[in-house]
Amino acid sequence: MKKASAILAILALSVPAFAQSGNIKIGGTWPLGDITGKQGSMAAQQAVDEINAAGGILGRQLELIVIDDELKADKGAAAIEKLVTVDNVDVLMGGMASGVALGQIPAMKKYGKIVISTGAASYKVEEALGADANWYFHLHPWDYNQGASYAQGWDEIQKKYPAIKIKKLFLAYEEGAFGKSSFDQTKILFGEGGRYVVDGAPFKSAAQGGGDYGSMLETAKAFKPDLFLWAGYDADALPMLEQAKAMKFNPGVYLGAPPGWPIGFQNSKLANNVMLYGMWAPSINDISAASKKFYDGFVAKYKAEPATYFAPLSYSAVYVYADAVKLAGTTETNAVIKALEATKYASPLGQTITFTPAKIIKHQGIKNQKILQWQNGRQEVIWPFESATAKPVYPFPKWK
Amino acid sequence: MANKRNATMNVALITAVAAAILVWRPTVLINGLQSAGLYASIAIPMGLILGIVHIVNLAHGEFMMVAAYITYMLCAATGMDPFVAMVPVALVTAAFGFVIYKLTIRQALKAPELNQLILTFGLAISMTQLANLLFTSQTRKLSFDYVSASLDIGDLSFGVYKFVYIGIALLMIVGLKLFLTRTTTGKAALAVGQNPRGAAIVGIDVDRTYGLVFALASALVGMMGAVFITSASIFPAVGSPYTMKSFCLIAMAGIGNIPGILGASILLGVSENILKAFRGTRGWADIVFFVLIITVILGRSIRGKKA
Amino acid sequence: MKLKTSYLSAAVIAAVVIAFPAFLGAYPLNVARSVMTYMALAISWDMLLRSGQISFGIAGLFGLGSYASAIAVMRGGMDPFLSILFAAAFAGVMAFALGFAILRLRAMYFSITTLALMEIFRIVMHNLHDFSGGPEGIVLSAPIFGGNSTALYWLCLAGLFITIGVSWYFEKSKMHLALTAIRNDETSARSNGVDIFRYLLVAFVITSIIQGMMGAIQIQSYGFTTPETAFDANFTLLPLAMALLGGIHSTIGPMAGAVLLGVASEWLKLKIPYGHLMVYGIIIILVILFMPQGLVGLARRMLRGSDKSGRKAGASHE
Repeated sequence: MKKASAILAILALSVPAFAQSGNIKIGGTWPLGDITGKQGSMAAQQAVDEINAAGGILGRQLELIVIDDELKADKGAAAIEKLVTVDNVDVLMGGMASGVALGQIPAMKKYGKIVISTGAASYKVEEALGADANWYFHLHPWDYNQGASYAQGWDEIQKKYPAIKIKKLFLAYEEGAFGKSSFDQTKILFGEGGRYVVDGAPFKSAAQGGGDYGSMLETAKAFKPDLFLWAGYDADALPMLEQAKAMKFNPGVYLGAPPGWPIGFQNSKLANNVMLYGMWAPSINDISAASKKFYDGFVAKYKAEPATYFAPLSYSAVYVYADAVKLAGTTETNAVIKALEATKYASPLGQTITFTPAKIIKHQGIKNQKILQWQNGRQEVIWPFESATAKPVYPFPKWK
Repeated sequence: MANKRNATMNVALITAVAAAILVWRPTVLINGLQSAGLYASIAIPMGLILGIVHIVNLAHGEFMMVAAYITYMLCAATGMDPFVAMVPVALVTAAFGFVIYKLTIRQALKAPELNQLILTFGLAISMTQLANLLFTSQTRKLSFDYVSASLDIGDLSFGVYKFVYIGIALLMIVGLKLFLTRTTTGKAALAVGQNPRGAAIVGIDVDRTYGLVFALASALVGMMGAVFITSASIFPAVGSPYTMKSFCLIAMAGIGNIPGILGASILLGVSENILKAFRGTRGWADIVFFVLIITVILGRSIRGKKA
Repeated sequence: MKLKTSYLSAAVIAAVVIAFPAFLGAYPLNVARSVMTYMALAISWDMLLRSGQISFGIAGLFGLGSYASAIAVMRGGMDPFLSILFAAAFAGVMAFALGFAILRLRAMYFSITTLALMEIFRIVMHNLHDFSGGPEGIVLSAPIFGGNSTALYWLCLAGLFITIGVSWYFEKSKMHLALTAIRNDETSARSNGVDIFRYLLVAFVITSIIQGMMGAIQIQSYGFTTPETAFDANFTLLPLAMALLGGIHSTIGPMAGAVLLGVASEWLKLKIPYGHLMVYGIIIILVILFMPQGLVGLARRMLRGSDKSGRKAGASHE
């Protein structure tokens, strides 16, 4: 009897000690059927392997458990339940679509685990989180951050390059949630104080079975914009350019904001000098050692190029968390939250990640996007100027 | 007699409406016809299968996706033009369709219709996901200069390339009409479509005919998939929206009415573009499709009751 | 005697299922909810199928229920629980009104019309920005019962029990005879005095009420929906596949199919993170090819096979 209770006491004492000495578990949810989430999860694994090869954190190894969210809110929520209650992960990571995040938030709130989010741009996600979610660390900029950052970018570009004059702006947006929120934010942020005249029209993205841009481009052409911006998906990139050429629509700036670009876009004659919004491109390797290390590691490990910024962003999420655990000396939630607040991570995105308050949440990572341009087959960074890799080519060449 | 007068009236009415639209908003008619051609040329092979084998092939769009990827790989590797590649691709997809028919669909022909439907649903999932594993969801597109071919009339510049789809649809209709009425195999297929039991009694090999029709439809989808890559990006899920659209167009035309598919497509394409022409109604363009289908189907059922 | 044992075993199973939260964690309960939702949809679809009418509109009524419930809570300030009943009633009224037109259609034309109606509902919700939240959808302030796993599970289970109960009643009452008669031979059913339209309308309205109710339970449990989530074609296709894989024209068949596909999809996802959906598709193909009568048909054949060993199992094919 005595012996039994002694064993029990030892067990009881050793359980927390054991938990602290096993692997540090990271639970990731990404849409694995989509290139963004597939490569995001692969890049996170790359970071985990790098850290483990260098001896791990606090003498412990990292372990990444990935579950497919299938781009569905209910599947994403079930994945959170599994990672927290079955796998007992120390931290949650990942995410791409806002719709999935909105389904996951009730479960996240229930457990209060640290979440390092790599997606979910919609302001609705921030509203659903509320001001009390101090465990939520949002790396990806909110939609209104992006809008504000572009407005700032175009102001600064016009100041620095007086030849570039933009007054009228036309936004073609895919009719889903992504495009609609892009349009709403652009209208608000560019429309402010009458600096810009903004108009727009929706189109059905080729990714959703559309792909006919005729009537949208007709409206755009009639508006005679200085800057034509489209918010859609990679499937729209070339067909829209081809149709614009056929209709002889020739704006001064032709700019796209899809989450990724099609394979071989740069091989098209029409692609040169198209501008784009984004967070990362391989050209950032020239100005950032962290980017080069990430890029070379990814290509060596997976024999493929990172196609979207979700790869370096997810890679950064692992490092941000690992650095915080190292600083805190423990995986205990409150201590790690404190340590995360002190994050200063020179990320492969060509900028240092810190957490500052957003409109509602306290921990917002990246707030600005970049303005880039396709030049001779490469995406060059035009703005912000401190990470620029090339000067803008303006205006967009006339169709031949 | 009354029928003839009716038909003349209809033609006159349609011509008048088309002329009015042309004067009012020429692009509505141009864009409408261009999308109609695409809808029709994808739907016609499905209509052939539905009319003769009586199977709703939920993997129809995926067959086109497979053809598009084969064409893409072929053209990217050899620099061939898709219009040349469509010949070998059609042969490959015909064989592919035939094998799929023999391995799966044939086995389910005796089972209730619903089994065939869900079988093709399973095929659709597997094909999309296999493509996703092999090629990822990142889209691919080759660029061809002729796609941006343009015509100026006064102030109006518009693309003319996509009229090629109307041409393809017309070729398919004429070709199928000749095949089904002039050749022995075609006549047999038509007989099987109308009455498989009767056809079997007069000595037609029903199974062989089904296999042939499946291969022929797959070849047509294969050609379409090859041409499709000239103007559209491809990705694993690219085909699936066209399956439902095709299914609806066939129902609107009435099963077995292949020229009717083009008519339904034109009605649809032009109506969609009328809504797209106005700011306030632009977002509602998709609804036209479904309202038209219900109207046509209900209208036909009411007329059927009266007759 | 036999009847009694089947009632008894049903009661035992029900008791075990009700007690699940006592020994299952939040994750299995979440998966169970998803399986139960699809199960209820599959059963409701089968109930109408017993008359021969193939509906492709499950997702339409499911989504309509989701939106009716969410909008009642958001705009009308209705109690979330009450909103589920409201949504069910709303779906029923819609089905009643639509039924007058579309229940006169048969075969593929009925199927396509239900499919088209689903798309129309979706496009309407997509475009009524101010009323329905547009493409970005609706976020409720909190899920029902504060998101408590056990309570959500029981809510979904209650929806499922109602569905099973109604389906059983359909099987045992004269509804069964009427629907079977319509399916087998509509003309002779009519000449035997069966009021075909009335029975079809009752079946359509009741199954729509179930689908609307499950949609409302879904939105209230997750606190969030968009047009593309609520009217996802998978809410039509998966219940169809489940009913077929389990065995149609019964209550137990769709239940078996829902467990098979629901559990398989979750299990595969954990085992094969990249590419699980392909295996899922292959499972559907194989089951259709090798078990054309579904799991229930297979079980029945095996039972019969052991009774009269020697008869070939394939004999019951047609």
